[in-house]
Amino acid sequence: MTDVLTEVMIDIRGVDKWYGPHQVLHGVDLQVRQGETVCVIGPSGSGKSTLLRTINHLEDINAGSIEVGGELVGYREHRGRLHELRESEACRQRLGIGMVFQQFNLFPHMTVLDNVAFAPIKVKKEDARVAREYGRELLARVGLADKASAYPSKLSGGQQQRVAIARAMAMRPQVMLFDEPTSALDPELVGEVLAVIKDLATTGGITVVVVTHEMGFAREVSDRVIFMDEGRIVEQGTPEDVLVTPRHERTQAFLAAVLR
Amino acid sequence: MTQTTTATRAAPKRDVVPIRHWGRMTGAAVVVLLVLGAAYSFATNPNFEWSVVGQYLFAKTVLKGLLLTLEMTAIGMVIALVLAVVIGVMRMSPSRVIAGVAAAWVFFFRGVPLIVLLIVVGNLGLFFKNFTLGIPFTGVVFWSAPVGQVVTPFVASVIGLSLAGSGYMAEIVRSGLLAVGKGQHETAKALGLNRAQTLRHIVLPQALRVIIPPLGNESIGMLKASAIVSVIAGGDLLTVVEGISGINFRTIEMLIVATIWYLLVISVYSVAQFFLERRAAER
Repeated sequence: MTDVLTEVMIDIRGVDKWYGPHQVLHGVDLQVRQGETVCVIGPSGSGKSTLLRTINHLEDINAGSIEVGGELVGYREHRGRLHELRESEACRQRLGIGMVFQQFNLFPHMTVLDNVAFAPIKVKKEDARVAREYGRELLARVGLADKASAYPSKLSGGQQQRVAIARAMAMRPQVMLFDEPTSALDPELVGEVLAVIKDLATTGGITVVVVTHEMGFAREVSDRVIFMDEGRIVEQGTPEDVLVTPRHERTQAFLAAVLR
Repeated sequence: MTQTTTATRAAPKRDVVPIRHWGRMTGAAVVVLLVLGAAYSFATNPNFEWSVVGQYLFAKTVLKGLLLTLEMTAIGMVIALVLAVVIGVMRMSPSRVIAGVAAAWVFFFRGVPLIVLLIVVGNLGLFFKNFTLGIPFTGVVFWSAPVGQVVTPFVASVIGLSLAGSGYMAEIVRSGLLAVGKGQHETAKALGLNRAQTLRHIVLPQALRVIIPPLGNESIGMLKASAIVSVIAGGDLLTVVEGISGINFRTIEMLIVATIWYLLVISVYSVAQFFLERRAAER
């Protein structure tokens, strides 16, 4: 999958992010190629989730720039300054970027199929029949074809997260962002969700960024692993480089703590 | 190991005697006696003329007043709810000005007693002569009408009830909106929904489930509060029975007539609310 000739899909340059007096991102640079699968690891509070959330402009940034598919995200350049985009433009940009959250966040008042087909119908104005059919297809792909008319509250955490993945995929995104997708799951349900993410990452030219604490998963599916600490990318490379023979001592300390 | 031995040993069959709550039973007996006594003295009191109650319970004027009470409560409820959603959403606005105006609205209409509100609205003609629709400061007038003609006692009653109700209900709506977690907003945003779509399709439907029970209580409250419009002769049930008692001097009997109707309507309403809540809770 790693091919230096493919184009850069996500281009993050010099991004700073402050929460009040506290700086959570320090000049982060990161390029992700089209079709690449990148896992971001690091201790909690290291800024990895924040970084992920800047990619679809759920968080604004204080300096630097982020481009997805060659288009500046969340901002427009005018006379050397970046102006934050209006809501409608930000919404349009998010269509190409799917996101899956730690807490699943299914819409509890809709059936599973409505959860999946809602945004394509309402936002992309897709034909309802087409959207629902594609929704069923995606549900089958995540192994939940029989749950189409169930309500989310009747599903296990693992099933809910698989629906959430199908829901994000229903928008046919170029980029998928996963924010600790298995951290809220019971241990025995982690596998089924990771299998779905792996399936998605290894087929089709979709670009995947996963913030995760699952080192085994990161090692198995990543083209590249990023280690972040205190708002900076400390080390990056192939899974072997970062997870097996880390050079930086903070990476070594982190891995020693989590792999024990 | 020990479990198998105890399980195999046949347990002797013994009757179980539950504890007797003597204090509780005595208390219940006392309460029943008190209630029966009160009911008896009320029913047989020679100063109450129950025949008057029977005579007026289905009188045409009383039924007309009841209808008006139901009408103003229903219309007041609808207007109050619409206002409450608008004010509730405004209170959540990132703009301090918009949120502040909404907060002031809630503060004012929740704080001012309904009776004051009704008297002011009912006597609007004292402050303003005409309603005028035109371009300010230019003298251009499209439409104009005397206030007294537009704001009839019924209209004044509906306005008063709506405004007072909107203050309380805006807070209920806001609590419902707050009950929908941040994750739902974020997810909708990530899916490309704009704020209006998020509110309409994601947040409000979920908030509705939370606010149905308190809204039900609020409408019962408004039904009862509508009796206060009798101070501006709103023509409602209480206005009517007071009018009759002014002629026949059977004040308590006429109030009992009104009370029976209020209780009956509230009972029917409570049943409807029960089924509505059950439906909302099914998911």
